[in-house]
Amino acid sequence: MKLSKQIQIIIIPLMFLLFAITGITLNYISQARAVRNANHQSLVYIDKLIQIANIVENQTGKGLTADDIFELRPYFQYPAFYETDFPFILSANGEYLLHAIKNGQRVPSEIISKMKEFPDKTGSLNYEEFENNKKQHQTICFKYYKPYNAFIGISYNKSEVLKQLGNSEFIIIIFIIIASIIAAFAVNKFIKPIVGGVNQVNGKLKALANGEIPTTLQSSRKDEIGLMTKNLNQLITGLKGTSAFARQIGNNQLNTEYSLLSNNDEIGNALLEMQENLKKAKEEEAKRKEEDDIRKWFNEGLAQFGEILRQNNNDLSLLADNIIQSLVNYLNANQGGIFVYNENDEGKYLELLSSFAYNRKKFVEKVIQLGEGLVGTCAQEKQTIYLKEIPANYISITSGLGEATPTSLLIAPLKLEEDIFGVLEIASFQEFKQHEIEFVEKIGESIASTLHSVKNNIRTRMLLEQSQQQREEMAAQEEEMRQNMEEMQATQEEMERKNNELEIITNTINQSLLSITFNQEGYIVNANSNFQELTGYSKTELEDKKLYDLVAEEQQEHFNSVWKSVLGNQSFTETFRLKGKNDLDIYIMATISPGLDAMGYVEKVLLIGQDITEEKKLEIMTQQQAKEIEKNLKKLRIEQEISATKQKEIQTLLSALDQNCLVSIIEPNGMISYINNMNVNTLGDKKEDIEGKYLHEIDYTAKHRPEEFKRLWNNIQQGNIQHREFSLKVNGKTVWILENFTPVMDEDGNLYKIINIGYDITANKVREQELNEEIELLKKKLK
Amino acid sequence: MQVSDQDLIYFINTLKNVSKYDFSEYSDKSLKRRLQKILEDYNLDLTSLITNMRLDKAFVEKVVKEITVNTTELFRDPPVWHLLRSRILPRFKNNKTINIWHAGCSTGQEVYSMMILLNEMEMLDKAKLFATDLNVDVLDAAKQGIYKYRFNLSYLDNFDKVIKQNPLNFEEYIDVPYEKYFDIDKVKDTITMKKFLTEKPIFRKHDLVTDGNIFFAKFDLILCRNVIIYFNYSLQNKVFELFHSNLYPKGLLLLGMHETILGPWANKFERLGQAYVKK
Repeated sequence: MKLSKQIQIIIIPLMFLLFAITGITLNYISQARAVRNANHQSLVYIDKLIQIANIVENQTGKGLTADDIFELRPYFQYPAFYETDFPFILSANGEYLLHAIKNGQRVPSEIISKMKEFPDKTGSLNYEEFENNKKQHQTICFKYYKPYNAFIGISYNKSEVLKQLGNSEFIIIIFIIIASIIAAFAVNKFIKPIVGGVNQVNGKLKALANGEIPTTLQSSRKDEIGLMTKNLNQLITGLKGTSAFARQIGNNQLNTEYSLLSNNDEIGNALLEMQENLKKAKEEEAKRKEEDDIRKWFNEGLAQFGEILRQNNNDLSLLADNIIQSLVNYLNANQGGIFVYNENDEGKYLELLSSFAYNRKKFVEKVIQLGEGLVGTCAQEKQTIYLKEIPANYISITSGLGEATPTSLLIAPLKLEEDIFGVLEIASFQEFKQHEIEFVEKIGESIASTLHSVKNNIRTRMLLEQSQQQREEMAAQEEEMRQNMEEMQATQEEMERKNNELEIITNTINQSLLSITFNQEGYIVNANSNFQELTGYSKTELEDKKLYDLVAEEQQEHFNSVWKSVLGNQSFTETFRLKGKNDLDIYIMATISPGLDAMGYVEKVLLIGQDITEEKKLEIMTQQQAKEIEKNLKKLRIEQEISATKQKEIQTLLSALDQNCLVSIIEPNGMISYINNMNVNTLGDKKEDIEGKYLHEIDYTAKHRPEEFKRLWNNIQQGNIQHREFSLKVNGKTVWILENFTPVMDEDGNLYKIINIGYDITANKVREQELNEEIELLKKKLK
Repeated sequence: MQVSDQDLIYFINTLKNVSKYDFSEYSDKSLKRRLQKILEDYNLDLTSLITNMRLDKAFVEKVVKEITVNTTELFRDPPVWHLLRSRILPRFKNNKTINIWHAGCSTGQEVYSMMILLNEMEMLDKAKLFATDLNVDVLDAAKQGIYKYRFNLSYLDNFDKVIKQNPLNFEEYIDVPYEKYFDIDKVKDTITMKKFLTEKPIFRKHDLVTDGNIFFAKFDLILCRNVIIYFNYSLQNKVFELFHSNLYPKGLLLLGMHETILGPWANKFERLGQAYVKK
């Protein structure tokens, strides 16, 4: 609904109502005033009546008497002001004592009781009375009049009073209608331009509501509409500016200036805030990106080194090569070195394990003591050292372009918790950024951890190998020890055996022979009891002596030369004549030999000897006998020579026989004890086959013609020489042998040996055969 | 289980049957202990051992190797080497060649000691060294010439005593560096003989009981130290005979520190300290 209509609908009835209320109120006020006036009039009228009554009373007897009524009646005959408002005198019990019409009638008792309750029993009271079946609003005004003990009053009908006011209600209604029409007209007249302005504004607002930014409105009005328009225009202009600003923000032109529409410019502030935030966000974004890049660089680096560290876990130097090469490249540095911390007996030191593009001019040594130089200090303090100015000649990089000193030097400890494992040294022509330093430190920890585990691995492996090796070694050594033991035991046993043997020998010597040990000077160290008994000297007496002292004078010189020879490592066996105690004459046969030490040098001298005193004495005795025997021996020798000659002859004979004949010697029991070579040559018999055999076992005749052999053998046994002839095949040829068995008798005539001499008569036999064949041939021819 | 005499005979006979080894004239007591040790090491009873020996030729070889005792060291018993240095080797100074046989050379330390000493005496060039042992494993070790270092520190002491010092003159000190003859690697725990030493001797497998002289040569010097202690009296004499017949006249036989020739061969030799000179 249009605003104008609304205003009309609301304002016109409102005006109407307003006017109606005003009219009605005015009407009511006038009525009330009329009533009040009526009351007042009535009371005044009553007072006048009372004055009259007083006068009357005074003239008449006391109380209301008929005179009174008479006298008074004319005053009560007519209505006081209106048509029915007759005055009256009402007794205290409610009976109209004097009333133009209602004389003698009674008022309702409740009214009279109310009346009595009024103060001074004076006042006015409304009541309703039905008259002609119409309800009548009656008002009774009264005053108690004591002399009469009655009330004097007037009762009037309200409508009569109001009737007096005439047609005022109607006039009011007319007024209201006219007023309303005027009001409606006026309102319309007034509202139109306002609504027009509002509508214009509304149109713009609508556009604004749709998000458009309309043109501004022209208005010359100075009222609220004008203000509104002005404000709207301002809004539009402001929005235009804001929108342009927002667009610029949208276009990421964050540095555009923007002036606020007012201090309370929410959008402006919001946009500024937004701009600020966007700026901040942009900066943060840039920062974040940078951080991201760094983080990415960091993480990729960590991953890369993690990979490197994971590989090559067994080869420390290869690992170090990879690490330092990758690190220098990753940092875009120029050179680097990795030092490993070591401890040995001589102290703690850092050892250059690997270097990359290194050309250390001053510190070419690869071992740096802890605390020495920058690297040593870094390791000792476990703190990163970063130098932007490098001591001159500390380090220099050799490249194709020549030598240059790097500008930045980063020395970072490889530490795990607080344990140092080494030092990284990296030099660069560029400065190191904070994150690069942190990266190196971080990597340092990883490297340290890996070094730790690699070292541990290596150590573990080494220990494992070592323990394995030691186990094997132990086993081998145990075996060797056991073998040593075995050898010792075997040696021990061998020595025991030899010792036993030697002991037996020594005992035998001691018991049966003389035994003396001398030192190199010739003093007797030990002489056995045999020698002591022999010489009559006690052991102690002998220990002061040399053998020289005991040797008989004529032999002493000889003894000395023997002794010298013995010291020169020769043994001598000699007979010595010794002088025992009390000039006892003793002969001993003694072997004096040197006792050698392990090197073969003479250490002592030993004498083993035999008491030959008896024999010597016998010898001397027998020597004389021997001389005689010698003579006899000479004779014997001559005889022997003769018999030797004979023997030679016989030998020659025998040898001749041996060469020409088959000789064999047979024992009396038939055993062949000898055959000569002719036997072997002629018959092919082997010596060892024949010798020791019995003739009857191998003889052909004995086998095949036992009777003949028995005869032959018996004849031989009786001492008769026997002959026989036989043939046998030797190597396919028939050989003929003629044998002569010659029994040899001993002195007692018993058979001692049988000598068989055989002749090879094959040639004769062949000849004989040939002759026989020729004879046969001749005989045939003769026939 | 204790090895009884019967057990030992059973073992020896089995060994004789399945191989050419004849241990019947070895020292009973020692052989019993070695057999005992083998049974314990292999955790076998005699019957199983013998069954295995019958079935497995390689096992027989192993057992024989286990039986042999291979104790030796570099310059073992320095006094003996002093004797060699001062009294024995000088005898051959004018020889054109010196034939030396190390019978029972074990892992070769004695051979290397001899070569080192000869070299110090400038006689190595004319020396011919023959080294034999029953056990081919120890011969291989001998050819390698690599020994444990830590366990054998005494080698260096012995070397010092024999090569650097003169027992007859303690003030004399000849500083011969070890590196001249062998390399010491403390990390690997090895003593490694120089190549000029390892390639010089002729190493051969040889059984003193059965093989006689396998070289077509006679010898100026035979070293057979701590071998005959494992033999009984009879076998000892056979070995002495073998040595005697293969020594040049005036040739020397050097036995172990506690070994001596007693019995029939004693008077075929003359003593020269620890050594025996063929008469």
